[in-house]
Amino acid sequence: MLALSSVPALLVGLILIGLLVRARPILAEKPFFSLFFSSVWSPLKGNFGLFPFIMGTLWVTLVSLVLAVPVSLLTAIYLSEYAPRGVREFTKPIIDLLAGLPSVIYGVWGVLLIVPLVGQVIAPLFGATSSGYSVLAGGIVLAIMILPTIISVSLEVFSSIPYPMREASLSLGATKWETVHHVVLKKGLQGIIAAVVLGLSRAFGETMAVLMVVGNIPRPPKSVFDGGYPLPALIANNYGEMMSVPLYDAALMLAAAVLLLVVLFFNVLARLILIRVERRSA
Amino acid sequence: MNKALGGILISGLILMFADPVRPSHQELDGALTMSGAWALYPMAVKWGEEFSKLHPRVKIEVQAGGAGKGIADALAGVVDLGMVSREIHPAEIEKGAFAVAVVKDGVVPTISAKNPLLNRILASGLDKEVFVAIWITETAKTWGDALKTSDKASLHVYTRSDACGAAETWAAFLDRRQEDLKGIGVYGDPGLAEAVRRDPLGIGFNNINYAYDAKSLKPLPGLVILPIDLDGSGRIEPAENFYQDRDAITAAIARGVYPSPPARDLYLVSRGRPQTPLQVEFLRWVLSEGQKFVAETGYIGLGAQKLAEELRRIEGK
Repeated sequence: MLALSSVPALLVGLILIGLLVRARPILAEKPFFSLFFSSVWSPLKGNFGLFPFIMGTLWVTLVSLVLAVPVSLLTAIYLSEYAPRGVREFTKPIIDLLAGLPSVIYGVWGVLLIVPLVGQVIAPLFGATSSGYSVLAGGIVLAIMILPTIISVSLEVFSSIPYPMREASLSLGATKWETVHHVVLKKGLQGIIAAVVLGLSRAFGETMAVLMVVGNIPRPPKSVFDGGYPLPALIANNYGEMMSVPLYDAALMLAAAVLLLVVLFFNVLARLILIRVERRSA
Repeated sequence: MNKALGGILISGLILMFADPVRPSHQELDGALTMSGAWALYPMAVKWGEEFSKLHPRVKIEVQAGGAGKGIADALAGVVDLGMVSREIHPAEIEKGAFAVAVVKDGVVPTISAKNPLLNRILASGLDKEVFVAIWITETAKTWGDALKTSDKASLHVYTRSDACGAAETWAAFLDRRQEDLKGIGVYGDPGLAEAVRRDPLGIGFNNINYAYDAKSLKPLPGLVILPIDLDGSGRIEPAENFYQDRDAITAAIARGVYPSPPARDLYLVSRGRPQTPLQVEFLRWVLSEGQKFVAETGYIGLGAQKLAEELRRIEGK
């Protein structure tokens, strides 16, 4: 049993080692600083600056979280604490369905709806000009993709909080909202963090839907209306050129390793927060 | 009666042994997989359909995903034939890429029919130097810069995000490589056509078969082919105006009036010289009988001499 349960951890390690071994040629040849902090990406001339792609990933993910977390938390609170039973039973399967839709469907929908919305409505509102293929479009599509994940995990968390606790709070004269605020949210905080991290992980790795709307410009974005180029899109778009350009495959493997490390970093960070929360409440 | 039967049997036996090696009646079967260039996709699908009619037991699967995917898949042995719409790099030949040219087509620059300066653009066209200023140096930021007028309407430049032949060929026309093309990267040929079609200030490029409608042979509704000012006169003369329908542009490519690049050969690539009977027969058929479907599908034939040359290469002569 112990051996079996250590398999996943081992796999992550093996994948990381595999990627780093394949990325070694470029790590050996190029200085570390130029790989991660240079904005020049022109493989044929031997320039492999990953900075635009790292920034692209961070921007798109951040935008999607800012949009998705408040909406999905409020939705989960409403469904779990306020909504009549019928509404809840009706909504849950729809949310599950949304979580299971293939990402390319979100991508097509983003191209047809979100890109023109950003280009023709939202950007002019802020006095910016944009074709619509932008970090914001990617963030919106991604936000909608991670909504169901965060909502359904939060719902599970809220439903695990014992009813007597809510009743105790209400009987002390707290209003419904005060009960939600001081009992449900407080008790469920760890779970909420876990839900957000789950959404975050999906956001980091999501490839197809983002690639289709984000503009794929290898330049660090300066505003949400600029195009960006996240790491997964870089790997998906260019894997075909790996064969012919020297060091290209090593550069893409390095990009994959960076992506894995970023996801790991955020997961570990979330774990640490969880541990602190647990200690404080103990 | 017995004698007659014996005679038939014997003559049958003799006939059998007289011509012992005739495998031509042996029915081909199995599956043939192809992936890669969007440019070659409609042609490969057509060839697949027609070839399956002749050989009902053969199943042909075609998948699009850009020239880069085609060559990578073929070299990795994931598919039988990769579709590649650009020149094969020396490093790829070193890794065993065996490319057979099968047809020609071209890449054309495109703009939206909603472009506010449409008539001026169609009258003057744009020349290579301006294309360099738009896609490479980014010194042309407005349509006024491109047309050398005072118009302030900004210019939205589009390119392809996936490693592909169309972008590589368009860049080759500008004496560069795909990675040098600036602009918003859109995935796939249809995606790029759609993005430009919808953006009144957009400019992009497409393979002929994604810029023109396969049924009406006219440019896609909403999309306008931007005429290239070939002689740099600042005007599109009648001799430079061959974009009205697909037949006109393919004729211009065949005559060599439309430059190459952006016209180019399209290749089917295998890992090493094709070995299985199915691969060999398919390529042989494509270069001979299959060529009669080329014009109706919107491509340009290679010419008899080049076809014969490619056939000889498949047979290893």
